[in-house]
Amino acid sequence: MRTRIITTSLILILNLILQSTLFQAIRIANIIPNTSIIIIISYAILRGRTEGAAVGCFSGILTDIFFGTSFGFYGLLGMLTGYLCGRSFHHLYRENYLLPIMISAIAVFIYENIIYLTGFLFSGNTEYFYFLIHLIIPEMVYTAVFSIIIYRLLFALNDWLEDKEKYRYRLF
Amino acid sequence: MKFFESYKKQILIVLAIFLLVASVFTAGKTGNANFIESTLGFIVTPLQKVSTNISSFFDDKFHNIKNQSDLKAENEELKSEIERLERENKRLSLLDEENKKLSALLEIAQKYAAYDTTASQIIAKDPGNWYNIFVMDKGTKDGISANMVLTAEGGLVGKITEAGYTYSKGMSILDSRSSVSAMSVRTGDLGIVKGDYTLMNDGLCKMEYINSDAEIMEGDEIITSHLSDVYPPGISIGVVKEVKTDSNGLTKYAIIEPHVDFKHLDTILIISENGKMSDVSSQNEEVED
Repeated sequence: MRTRIITTSLILILNLILQSTLFQAIRIANIIPNTSIIIIISYAILRGRTEGAAVGCFSGILTDIFFGTSFGFYGLLGMLTGYLCGRSFHHLYRENYLLPIMISAIAVFIYENIIYLTGFLFSGNTEYFYFLIHLIIPEMVYTAVFSIIIYRLLFALNDWLEDKEKYRYRLF
Repeated sequence: MKFFESYKKQILIVLAIFLLVASVFTAGKTGNANFIESTLGFIVTPLQKVSTNISSFFDDKFHNIKNQSDLKAENEELKSEIERLERENKRLSLLDEENKKLSALLEIAQKYAAYDTTASQIIAKDPGNWYNIFVMDKGTKDGISANMVLTAEGGLVGKITEAGYTYSKGMSILDSRSSVSAMSVRTGDLGIVKGDYTLMNDGLCKMEYINSDAEIMEGDEIITSHLSDVYPPGISIGVVKEVKTDSNGLTKYAIIEPHVDFKHLDTILIISENGKMSDVSSQNEEVED
């Protein structure tokens, strides 16, 4: 359990650092893939709703601290994403290659719509279709492409961790 | 561990309620970071700095290979530019002296006072697509605090929304949550420069609430006005690119092209409005005590 917590926190911190620095160079039409959402849904699919929620919460709080204007908004959003994805998709066949692509696209769609609703619609911005075409759909596609690689990496890592934990904890 | 296992649902609900309440109560607040945020920043910002430097190193290398032939011509050009600016600077400092003497005679305060500045590097940019927030490598230990103003290349960049111990968070004027009270130099018309998402990716912003009979036109210089309590007056923002009338017909808005190239921004000057940086840092310490 301790190894899992340490590796997960390291992954999330590394993700924040990469996303805010190196990944800025791979923006296409000013859109950056949402790698933190891929990590959240990977944990939700592989480990279930509780860990999905925990990972989402921690990752969101990190974003809040460095790039948010209010503490807790992204934390709550990430936690909801993790919890709902874990609740709905934990019992699906996790070795499937198509599954993470579809789920990450759906998760990005819902996540970005909530940000639009709270941050833009409430401040009087009604150009929803502009955002849909120029931001949400490109980000869905870009994130879905990235999810193929990142999900496989986390899948292998999870296998290794579960193998390590097998003798110490009951898994099912 | 058993405690977490048996009460995980309750813990999640309590955490969710806590985050909801916290996000409602801290929304839109600017201030200095608390201990936990500063500690995390202390760990993360050096790594971000390393990562940014690596990527800008490779960026520079590619750029150099591409533009090697132009460098010589550019160098010549810059040298003559420096000469011209030095001459101009001497003339202006003489004028400044004269201005000081004359305003002392007239007993009026200096309108455009000299502010204390510190240079800082951008080490991280917003990982999302909606806003335009960045992190800089100077914090409260260098005398930075929230609501200080950021400039670069002679134009306004934005302000600091939160300062941690080793880092500070800045919001650029292109961010859709930012608004700056502004004024046209030629005509003195007032307005508010706001960020707009549809213009943000082209590096432009919008000046709203201009009076419908204002004589503002294309090419006018826009500076910060004297109405703001965050931005000191007289900092140049940009040039008017286009003027349009709002759909209600009562006000106009203008599209502003900022002087700063926000896409290739890496070094920033932080301006402290109330005097010296060292004074500010001692004030902060008093507040913390």
